[in-house]
Amino acid sequence: MTVGVTVGHAPRKANRPVTAVRHEPAPPEDDLAARFRAGDELALREAYDRYGRAVLHLATSTLANRSDAEDVTQATFVAAWLGRDTFDPTRGSLIGWLLGIGRRKVIDRLRASARETRVVETVRQLPDPAPTGPDPDTVVDRLVVADELARLPDDQRRMLELAFFDDLTHQQIAAVTGVPLGTVKSHIRRGMANLKRRWEVDGAAPGPRPAGISGAR
Amino acid sequence: MQHLDHDRLVFLALGESEADSGESTHLDTCEHCRVEVETLQHVAGLGAGTQGLRDLPDPPEHVWQGIMTEIRAAESLPSLAEVRSQQQAGTEQRSGESDRNGDGDRPGGPGGGVVLAPSSRRRGRWSRWASTAVTAVAAAAIGVVGTLAVLDPDDSEPAPQVVVASAPLAAYGATPPDANGEARVFDNGRLHLHVANLPDVPGYYEVWLINPTNMEMFSVGVLGGGSDELLPLPPNVDLEAYSVVDVSAEAFDNETAHSGNSLLRGTLTG
Repeated sequence: MTVGVTVGHAPRKANRPVTAVRHEPAPPEDDLAARFRAGDELALREAYDRYGRAVLHLATSTLANRSDAEDVTQATFVAAWLGRDTFDPTRGSLIGWLLGIGRRKVIDRLRASARETRVVETVRQLPDPAPTGPDPDTVVDRLVVADELARLPDDQRRMLELAFFDDLTHQQIAAVTGVPLGTVKSHIRRGMANLKRRWEVDGAAPGPRPAGISGAR
Repeated sequence: MQHLDHDRLVFLALGESEADSGESTHLDTCEHCRVEVETLQHVAGLGAGTQGLRDLPDPPEHVWQGIMTEIRAAESLPSLAEVRSQQQAGTEQRSGESDRNGDGDRPGGPGGGVVLAPSSRRRGRWSRWASTAVTAVAAAAIGVVGTLAVLDPDDSEPAPQVVVASAPLAAYGATPPDANGEARVFDNGRLHLHVANLPDVPGYYEVWLINPTNMEMFSVGVLGGGSDELLPLPPNVDLEAYSVVDVSAEAFDNETAHSGNSLLRGTLTG
């Protein structure tokens, strides 16, 4: 099998994807990314329809204030559009790039509110404040993994969802699905490899985590 | 050293099987395999956390409206001088459309599309515009944006925003002199930056507002790799005090203060 030559870009069928619009079959992202980069305003709308929810989720789950989150979502797409010539499709997917911009805007906003707090308290040496919500990097990483999960071949996705969401052992998955155990394992192994690769390409802090800082601990 | 089979690493990471003593010993001593297991565990943890992400709510419609408003504003402003010079022509064209007889030789589509279209003359005019007395330009900008809103043939389009202050940005200190830019503050509290010829830096560019009387400053945000960026300003920011726009080169050093390395500066007026 030839999955993942360009991770996350391959035009695969996407069921229930976090990013799909109203369950229409998603056209290849390659095309959308290229049109977006070329300045096609329809591509902006399409990108917004597909990924606006993910960007808004990033903002709402990390910022306390709903209108700040909507502002950040808006600013993310404006910045992406005005800076579209800096998007390099060879370095990651469009959603990964958008989430990267959104992440920066969220962090800017968190710093700005920290500044306001500092001014109010007139304390000079406050450390960076504890974030109010989950860490933006984690939210970005989850959205990227969700997007890749949605793009996996059906078998890989189904097996991984049973393992992740229903916490089934591979033996149980084999029993539930009627798929031979060896095949279950092979789907899960490939699916995990795809998720990992995509996370390394598009995650907020890509690359293998050094030992000891793994978020899994 | 013989590494563990990658399949095993996946299944160990998923908790599908326990490491036998040989494997445990290997993982204790082999950083490569240990990092791989931890990475896979991390990814599996992220995967398990995606369950709620399948049916995220759509952003409200006004977010899209806001996006289009800002994009129109940002796209139209660099050609303000051009627009202004065509203001008469645009007005004539509008009346030409209504009587359907005149203007047969005028190229292009109706209304705002013509005046907003890029033209080869834009760049030259733009640089002259940038070096013109700023107060005059800001005044002109307000006038022209008002005109644009009137000219816009599509009433459902959100109106462009008004520039309340602007500053040409010039190379600062040791920055190559061809680096330049423009800062504009819209009445909705956003700062639009347009930059050109910034030198490559190992880190990133950050935008600051500085009070020149005491050099107090705060960060407005980070410039992406593009030539334009829109950044929200803190509400109630005092632009008369914090009047200097500064673009600095910052390193990825976890140090939030200004690096001291300013690339561009300019003073807001308006």
